[in-house]
Formats: sequence, C-alpha cells, structure tokens
Amino acid sequence: MEFKVEAHRIMSISLGKIYNSRVQRGGIKLHKNLLVSLVLRSARQVYLSDYYGGICLSAQQAREWCEGEYMTSDQDKLIPGSTESLSESDETSDVAVDKQEPRDVVESPAAQHVETQASGEQDSAENGLSVSGCSDINTPEESPEATPTCEVASVVTAISSNCISAPSPSDPNEATETPTDCQTDNSESAENHSDEPKAPQAYTNRKRTAEDSELTDSPTKRTKVTSTSLPSTNDENKGETEEMDTSNVSSLITIFGSSFSGLLSNKEGEQPDSEAEDSDSGQICCDQMLKNLNPWSTAIVAF
Amino acid sequence: MDEEIDTRKINNSFLRDHNYATEADIISTVEFNPTGELLATGDKGGRVVVFQREQESKNQPHRRGEYNVYSTFQSHEPEFDYLKSLEIEEKINKIRWLPQQNAAYFLLSTNDKTVKLWKISERDKRPEGYNLKDEDGRIRDPTTITALRVPVLQPMDLMVEATPRRVFSNAHTYHINSISVSNDYETYMSTDDLRINLWNLEITNQSFNIVDIKPANMEELTEVITAAEFHPNQCNTFIYSSSKGSIRLCDMRASALCDNHSKFFEEPEDPSNRSFFSEIISSISDVKFSHSGRYLMTRDYLTVKVWDLNMESKPLETYQVHDYLRSKLCSLYENDCIFDKFECVWNGSDSVIMTGSYNNFFRMFDRNTKRDVTLEASRENSKPRAILKPRKVCVGGKRRKDEISVDSLDFSKKILHTAWHPSENIIAVAATNNLYIFQDKVN
Repeated sequence: MEFKVEAHRIMSISLGKIYNSRVQRGGIKLHKNLLVSLVLRSARQVYLSDYYGGICLSAQQAREWCEGEYMTSDQDKLIPGSTESLSESDETSDVAVDKQEPRDVVESPAAQHVETQASGEQDSAENGLSVSGCSDINTPEESPEATPTCEVASVVTAISSNCISAPSPSDPNEATETPTDCQTDNSESAENHSDEPKAPQAYTNRKRTAEDSELTDSPTKRTKVTSTSLPSTNDENKGETEEMDTSNVSSLITIFGSSFSGLLSNKEGEQPDSEAEDSDSGQICCDQMLKNLNPWSTAIVAF
Repeated sequence: MDEEIDTRKINNSFLRDHNYATEADIISTVEFNPTGELLATGDKGGRVVVFQREQESKNQPHRRGEYNVYSTFQSHEPEFDYLKSLEIEEKINKIRWLPQQNAAYFLLSTNDKTVKLWKISERDKRPEGYNLKDEDGRIRDPTTITALRVPVLQPMDLMVEATPRRVFSNAHTYHINSISVSNDYETYMSTDDLRINLWNLEITNQSFNIVDIKPANMEELTEVITAAEFHPNQCNTFIYSSSKGSIRLCDMRASALCDNHSKFFEEPEDPSNRSFFSEIISSISDVKFSHSGRYLMTRDYLTVKVWDLNMESKPLETYQVHDYLRSKLCSLYENDCIFDKFECVWNGSDSVIMTGSYNNFFRMFDRNTKRDVTLEASRENSKPRAILKPRKVCVGGKRRKDEISVDSLDFSKKILHTAWHPSENIIAVAATNNLYIFQDKVN
C-alpha cells in the first residue's frame, strides 16, 4: 500500500511541475515535460495496479463511505444506478473530456495547460450550476488565479478520486490530501463498476460533487475492466476518464493515459459522441468545446 | 593526481558580500579553444567572458600561464517571441571555438533559439593624422586645411573587441541544446529537442535539416534529442543522444536526411533497478567523442559510460559517479535536481574522463588504472595554490573523519560544466557563479 501513497505523491508533484513549467521564463521545456509525463504515467500505473489488489476489501468500506458521505441532490437521484444514467454519464464524461482536450493541446509538448484549463473550465461550469454539494471544492478551484498549490491540490484530488477506481478502504484517508471532504469522498468512486455495480455507482454519484453536476450525471467510469490496468491505449483512456466530477481530472488522465497520446486522440474519438449527445450537460460541454476548438487546433498545427 | 588551485572568481553581483549569486552570473558553459590558449565561459545573463593564458615568464616560473580576463561581451539579449507569446532566455547554452585561421579568434555562442558567430580581435594601433577630421573626430573645416598628410599608425593600449559576424536565427522551433563544428571548418550543426540543422558558417539565411524526429502527432512523442556532436576527424559522421538513453551515429553521405542511423548504441536496462524514475535517470545529458574519434562518452544522471564505436550492444566502461543518490531519487525529483544536465569531458590523451556532481564535487576517472578521485571546488575548503584533497562521500554506516554523509550534501551547489585543456592537465570547473581553474602540480 505504501506504493500507492508514494505513487499518489509523485503524481501530485508531477502535476505541480507541469503547471509551473507553464509560467517559467523561457518557455516550456519539451524535454523536462516529457520526462515528467513519463513519471506521471508510471506512478499512475502503479497506483492503479495497486488499486485492483484492494478492490474486494474496499467494497465493504465503500458502502460505509457512501452512507456517511455528503451527497448532492443530483447524486441522490442517480444512486439507483440506472443504466440510462450510466450511459449519460459516459457521454458527458466524454464531452467533458473533449472539452478539456482542445484546451490542453495548445502547447502540444505537454499538457501544461491542463491545470489552468481545467480550473478555468471548472469556473465556467460551476458558474452555471447550482451546486448544492461540496461547495468547498468549488472554492479552491474557482479562481483561476488560485495559487498553484491550490489548483494542483484540487487537480490532484480530482485525480486521486479518479484514479482510485475502487474505494481503498484500507486507507480512505490516503487520497485525502485534499482540501475538502467531498474530495475525500470522491476517492471512493469506483472505476470497476462491473464488479460492484452498486457501490461504485454510489461513489461516482457522490463524486459528482459540485463542480459539474451537469456533466456528472453519473460518471460511470467505464472502468477498465481489464485486469491489467496498463494505460497505453485510447480505450483505456476512456475507461479512466469517465470521472467527471471535475473535468480537470478526466482531462488529465486522458492526457496522461499514454504519454502524450491522450492529447489529441481522445478529442477526435469522442467528439462525434459528444455531438450526438443531446443532454443538457452534453450541450453545454459541446458548446464550450466547440468554442475553444478552433483556436486550439490552429495553435496545435502552428506548433 | 595532485593539483594546485588557481582561482578566478567572476562575480559581477552588486551584493558582493552576500553568499548568493545573482542568477545572471551563473555560468552555463565553459570551453577551451583548440590550442588551450583561450577559455570562454557563458552565463545565464547572456554574457561571454574570455580568458587568455599568460605567457610564461622566466621571472615568475611558479606562476605558469595563469588565465586572465581577455574580453567580455554581451552575446545574447533576452527576446520575446510575439507569435507564441514566449520569452526567449538569453542564457548561453553552448560555446564552441573555431580553429584559428588568422590573428582573430572566432567562436560560436548560442542561446535557446539563435546562434551567433563572434570575432574577437585585438587592436593595439590606431591611425592618427587624418586630414578631414581631427583627433577628436570632429570634422575639420576644409578651408583651414593647408597641407596634406598621411595618417600614421600609432601604438595604443591593447583593446580587445568582439563583433558579431553572423547571426543564425529562425531555424529552431524548440530549444537549442548543442552546437558542434565540423572537421571541415566550413559547416556546423545546431541541435534542438527534435531537429538537427546543418549550417554553412558563411550563410545565415538558410540551413539544412539533417535529422528530424518530430512525430506526425506530437501526442506520440516518446523521446527527444539531448545532445549531438560531429566526429573529430570525419566531417561526415555525427552522433546524437536521446532522452531514452540511446545514441545514434549517422553518416551524412548515406542520405540528405539522416533519420535512419548507421549505428545505434543502447544498453538494455537492468530490470532490477527499475523505479518511477528509471526513464529520467537514463536520459543522456551529454555526449562527447574522444579526441581520437575511436570512443564516445555519455553522461546520464548517475553514470558515465565509455562506448567503443565498433560495439553497439553495450558500453565498454561504466563509471558510477554518485550511485549513493540512487535511493534518493524521489527527493531529487521533488527539488528538480534529477533534471540536472551534467557534462563530461575527456583529457587530451583520452585516458582520463571528468564529470561534475553535487556539493561542488567533481570526479575524475582514470581509464587505464581504473582509479577515480573526487575533488571539491570550493574556496572555503581549500586555499589558493594548495593541493586539492580528495574527498569522499560516506554511504551509510560509520562516517569517518573527513567524509561527508549523503544527507549533508548541498544539492544547490552543483558542477554541471567543466572543461579540460586540449593538451595539458589544466581544467576549468564552473561552480554556480564561480570559475575554478586547476593545474597539475609542478615539481
């Protein structure tokens, strides 16, 4: 388990580095960001592989978490885990991912913009939402000018919540170097819903937390049901990135799914889905994404 | 080996008494010229300082050829790329001397985006006795001129002036990390993270791209070029190292675009040493041909390896520079030290190799005797002209009297840049903003 803690820590440090590289003098250093993204990927692999080891145990405690946790009204609706909500969330998550990606791809070498984009997007998403739950989460993430640590922390918690597919009962607190309780809860979101449909569902619902409740109808993680949780394909990206409560996370995971592969491929792959999607959340995401798409794609081409 | 210290401190910092350096004074590159008479250093502020060795005099035989400041000039200025909204640092990444062909000296200096050819020349005479202007330069009234005279060259105080002769710009999208002059002395190459360009020294408005590893989709990027160098004797051969720990040797006669290598040097990774940071520590930070051209040396984070050009499967020799850091990789990752790019150098006869470490330590490895030594470049711990004492880092267990424990190493004092005189045992070691020059002891 200590590997998990270590991996988690390394992931948060890596994200911080990527964020800082954006504001460094002299422009973004391709080499360093490439190395950092490789470390991030390794850490994530370890984190996830560790997770699968503890998934059985976690189910029980997941339930306990569920009950004791703070949930939004939206999330309550979703608890019964209908397949519709599942599919919806898939879509929305796709959309959310797409939304993130164009922004993230701006400076293609690394997802340096991820954090800012994510936070920026959260702001816009949050503004339109009457989020009843987890307002604390919003606070640190609301202002794009939030200190990097704040942003990183929120991003990290997002990641931890996403990455931690199965509730890790043995250390429910571990993912919680988070500023808010809600985030802590999020960590319990289940990725492998195939194994534990109900428990994960609850978690994912909860995870929805505030930010993008519209997006997060039910972030059904299409968890990588595969036992080998090795992220190296876009499929895995999809599985990973269904976490929606913070678009940050999904985009980050997508991006780091396989070094740089996440940046563009998901965007193209999921765009048709999102456009077909007609839910409100999908709509909003779509619009936002489309707005951002053009300038970014030209930027990518230019770079 | 015994060495005596001859220290030169370059510190233009306004707050001299304080123990920290202005960032602009941090030395970022050190290079001897081909004869060893000149030593150039570049710093983060875009300045180049050139030292010249004094002629040995009979009056003071113990002061053999010390290096004194010869010329200082601002090579690069900070720039702004408006298209990308990026600031371009003025830090000098590399300096390479051209072989001397006349009385002037030429060097190439580069920052992240632009390479410049500088001419350093001396002027010790000036003309006097112009007809149309007087000594101050003011134009004389023609009506006052009654006789003609021929200007005469009069001696003056030696003045060393540096003029930029060529500016090679707009050829690199990514940050330039190396430049290397070809054996033909007509061309040189500049290397950034993904591309290598070949230039003619006379032509600044075009360059040839000879290596391009940029993938069609940047998302598929897995490795970048970290350093490149021309073969010392064959103008058609060059090598470049990658962030994945491999070296490729290319022959420009094979094709115009050298994307396909002629030789590929890579050592299989030791699976027992695998960690989160394996990829980072295997990234090669510097690659150098030996003077003979038979061997090449690579530096990654923890080791220096000597390769035989004829054997691609594994290095000939591997030297551990500071293996005690292997267990501290996580902390080094946190404080960014793991990304430090150490350089390595050969001595004139290719028998000794040298590289830097932390705590102002630098290491030398004798390839023949297999002995190695750790020395420290520090004014506090050694007096000028004193013989350097070998240092030792103790790795756990009992610490002997003169040893330093790993935990008390100062990671902010790192020696990244060193240079070795092409023929004599004189080394230049850059420790943050200080330059140390060490010479062999004369008996």
